[in-house]
Amino acid sequence: MTLFKKLLGVGLFLALVLVLVPWLIERSGRWDFYYTLTSVALLSIASAGVWLTFYIGRINIGQGAYALVGGYVSAILVTQAGMNFWLTLPLAGLFCALLSVLIGLPILRLRGVYFAMVTLVLTEVVRLTALALPITNGARGIVNIPLPTELSLFGLTLIPDFGTLANPKLAFYLAAVIMMILSYAVLYRIVHSRLGHLCRSLQQNEELAASIGVNITYLRILAYSISSFFGGIAGASFVNISQSIYPSSFQVVDSVNFMLNCFLGGLGYVFGPMLGTLLLYFGWDLLFTTGKYQLLIYSSLLILLMLVLPNGLLSLRLSRKAKQPAQASPDKQPSGATP
Amino acid sequence: MEQIIANGLYLGAQYALIALGLTLIFSLMNVLNFAHGQMYVLGGFITYTVVAQLGLPFLLGILVSGLLLALMGAGVEKYLFRPVVARSVREESTMLLAAGIAFFLDAVILLLFGEKQRGIPKIVDGVFNWDFRIIMPYDRIVVGLLALAAVAAFILYMRYSRTGRAMRALAQDRTAAQLMGVDVNRYSMFGFALGAMLAGVAGGLLVSITGVNLGMGGPTSIKAFMMIMIGGAGVISGAIAGGFILGMMESVGLTVLAAYGDVTYLIIFASLMVFLAFRPQGLMGKPWG
Amino acid sequence: MSKRVFLKSLLAGMITLSLGLSVAQADNEVLKIGFVGVTSGPAAAWGISNQRSMETRAAWINETGGVKIGDKTYNVEIVAFDDQKDPKRAIAGMEKMAQEGIHYVVGPNVDDGAAAVRPVAEKNGIIYFPYAFPKTLYAPPASNAILGMVANYQSGPAIYKYLKDNKSVKKAAFVAANESDPLSQRDGGVEAAKALGLEVVSDNVTYQVDTTDFTPVLLPVIRSQPDLLVLSGVSPANAPQLIRSARELGYTGLISTETAQDAQVLKEGAGELANGFISVGGASTPEIASDMMREFVERYTKKFGEYNDESNTKVYALEYILDTLKANPEAIKDVEAFKKTVDTFEAPNPYMKGEAKLKYVGTTSFGQKRQLAVPLVVNVYQDGEFKTLFVAEVD
Repeated sequence: MTLFKKLLGVGLFLALVLVLVPWLIERSGRWDFYYTLTSVALLSIASAGVWLTFYIGRINIGQGAYALVGGYVSAILVTQAGMNFWLTLPLAGLFCALLSVLIGLPILRLRGVYFAMVTLVLTEVVRLTALALPITNGARGIVNIPLPTELSLFGLTLIPDFGTLANPKLAFYLAAVIMMILSYAVLYRIVHSRLGHLCRSLQQNEELAASIGVNITYLRILAYSISSFFGGIAGASFVNISQSIYPSSFQVVDSVNFMLNCFLGGLGYVFGPMLGTLLLYFGWDLLFTTGKYQLLIYSSLLILLMLVLPNGLLSLRLSRKAKQPAQASPDKQPSGATP
Repeated sequence: MEQIIANGLYLGAQYALIALGLTLIFSLMNVLNFAHGQMYVLGGFITYTVVAQLGLPFLLGILVSGLLLALMGAGVEKYLFRPVVARSVREESTMLLAAGIAFFLDAVILLLFGEKQRGIPKIVDGVFNWDFRIIMPYDRIVVGLLALAAVAAFILYMRYSRTGRAMRALAQDRTAAQLMGVDVNRYSMFGFALGAMLAGVAGGLLVSITGVNLGMGGPTSIKAFMMIMIGGAGVISGAIAGGFILGMMESVGLTVLAAYGDVTYLIIFASLMVFLAFRPQGLMGKPWG
Repeated sequence: MSKRVFLKSLLAGMITLSLGLSVAQADNEVLKIGFVGVTSGPAAAWGISNQRSMETRAAWINETGGVKIGDKTYNVEIVAFDDQKDPKRAIAGMEKMAQEGIHYVVGPNVDDGAAAVRPVAEKNGIIYFPYAFPKTLYAPPASNAILGMVANYQSGPAIYKYLKDNKSVKKAAFVAANESDPLSQRDGGVEAAKALGLEVVSDNVTYQVDTTDFTPVLLPVIRSQPDLLVLSGVSPANAPQLIRSARELGYTGLISTETAQDAQVLKEGAGELANGFISVGGASTPEIASDMMREFVERYTKKFGEYNDESNTKVYALEYILDTLKANPEAIKDVEAFKKTVDTFEAPNPYMKGEAKLKYVGTTSFGQKRQLAVPLVVNVYQDGEFKTLFVAEVD
């Protein structure tokens, strides 16, 4: 792709999500789509993190844990320290990133399904911790969290007070979409930088990468902490929409869904998780008129999609440009751990 | 103390049976079958239908569960997993397929069998009571023994039958097995059917004790994952060991940590994470059987 | 570029699809009542019994000519949304209800969902009827939620007091699943028991909801030798197994819970071991059920194949909504009018024999009338069916 085409694509996408979608919603009066699309944007940020761990060859089923931690950090800072939500957002992300360094150091040595299982257990551990700790208010959760307040710098309003806005749904939508765009810009940048190449080398063969002088421990931790940062900010944002958080706000099902989003979109494509989230989440909502057959139709479509496009939705593009080598690792890599 | 061990053994026997099928499928095809728990639930509902609705004997119910699940497993492998595995760039992608099948089975179970908890009458009445040191209802003892018998039969089958040997060869090295003339497709399908059958038999057995409901699928899968991780994924003896260890951990943990109440499971799960972090391949070392 | 085209056409397709659906359903003579709750996954039984009660009642009303509110007659349509017990989905469901122009929604079924939908409900003028107990949902400044059943902190004390006075219970033990709702209910129950002067011998044993063998869970509890074992917030799936394990361990005291249960499930899961099990129910026990209740059960069974006793408490929400609207037709479009009517509303209870009334209560617990007066019927299980132990009222 030439630079011009790239810019055009980005421009079109920005126009689509920031102008066209709000306009369409305005015209059609389907206000409920704001929340659905806001969710998609936020969940796809968390999925982007999972995708990045896939990129270093790890199956991550633990993103729900960081989303929950991020949510609690933000909720506690807002309700108990009276902080501005917008300031708690990066703090929630950073807290998750730090936590993930501690957890990642031992567990990132694992591979394949072993790593996957440990992260799955991690989600449950975090849920139970949230139930047991006094600061999280245990089973009763934290409720009545205020809406995001004004953020100003030297008297200049950067972000208005959501409580006084005429249309907070639009505000939440725009905030979420902008965050999503920034996250994917970061992801895109990482993948196409030297760091991205190194990560790919990790995905294919860690021993080889280590033998040519790549600091694999550092690289793995870095990727994992960026991933967890994404999970944290997504969780924190969600909490401020629902204005409440419970230990069950993010659980194993969410962790599994984040992973499925990546598969559905395609592991080889940066924008895969975004598309995967849109389809998995929005698809369920759209099928709601089918009543008791909703789950049956939903799952049948999922299986069918998998049969037609086993490498994810974005592999559609691949078949057009079959000559061009795929971005993903072309050779299969055993999922079982090898010492 | 005797009671705690007895509880742990019973739990372990039932867990081991659940984990076996999962580990078999994983060792043969590198597929982590997210739908394993749903297959277990389906087996339970089939036995329920045969025993409670049609009024037929319990053992026949288990037989029907096993057979139907085996058929389903074979179909799932042949028409779903095989084409996807053949065409996917990264084989982890089968996880999405497995999850899709899990959702699908959940939906089918809800439509066919309803939302209620189901159970069948006790197969044997009475409670074994050894001086209040071990209290164990007879039906639990029977089911525990049946589970152990099924596990033993499976091990013998894998060890001594031609099919079993072929499957073990496949698990060790797919390519080499193929070169040696093992019909990979046929035995993959057979292995998947056997794995699904084990899930069905476990479901059928346990419906007489714990009953069955449509929500048990997901959590059962996750528990089974933990067991095979403790023992070492894809190792048959590992899955059995993992089942018994998790059973004991729960039994002992719940008693010892009862005073701390709410944190019992937190400690069990956290120690599991620590164990896996320091013993990445579980107990049994090599990731194949 | 094909990806872009693909994406766009996908999105466009989705939007047109849903637009088409919403247009097709516009009709003046239909009164839509919403339901947001869990109808799939592990807790499906809760939401399904809810949704089916509403659908049965709606079909019945429509069959007999609709419901007359003010000078118009409406057919009742139930719009149901499955939130999969996920608070994030519950918000989406509530948004969907707002989109459909619905002002009265039954559900959600659990604490986290009920808390999460509150901003949406208040913003869009929706009154919702959760089956969750946290007081913050119903006490001021909250004003749009109305508790759909008797809370455990109301039924618990009544049950314990009855058992203390009539069965000379002295020592109570509590077990709960390690999830938000059951744990909150356990804490409330322990408090109530202590206030009554009962000795609480065990209150910190918890279990995972997916437990398949409860013997290890209950062993330490039974060893503390209670006369009353309370299964706090127990789900219908876990109840029979817990009862069975407790009895098989030689426990001979009383077992009770503050949630609604199903007799068939208890019969299949625990058989005669469940005899004497005390739970909270609605009004379908033969002693107090009216003819209308009997017809409801009949119609439900005909429509869905099998009745669920949990529906005894869940039949009320829709009845309350319609009767309150009848009392004040303005409330159809204006929930503020509904809130005013709530303070004075009273109508006969059609499901129960005798003088029972439909009215809003909750002043003692919440400081405002934000609860349906569902009769607090305490049942005891005996050989496959429930028998009424005593009936009480909540204020």
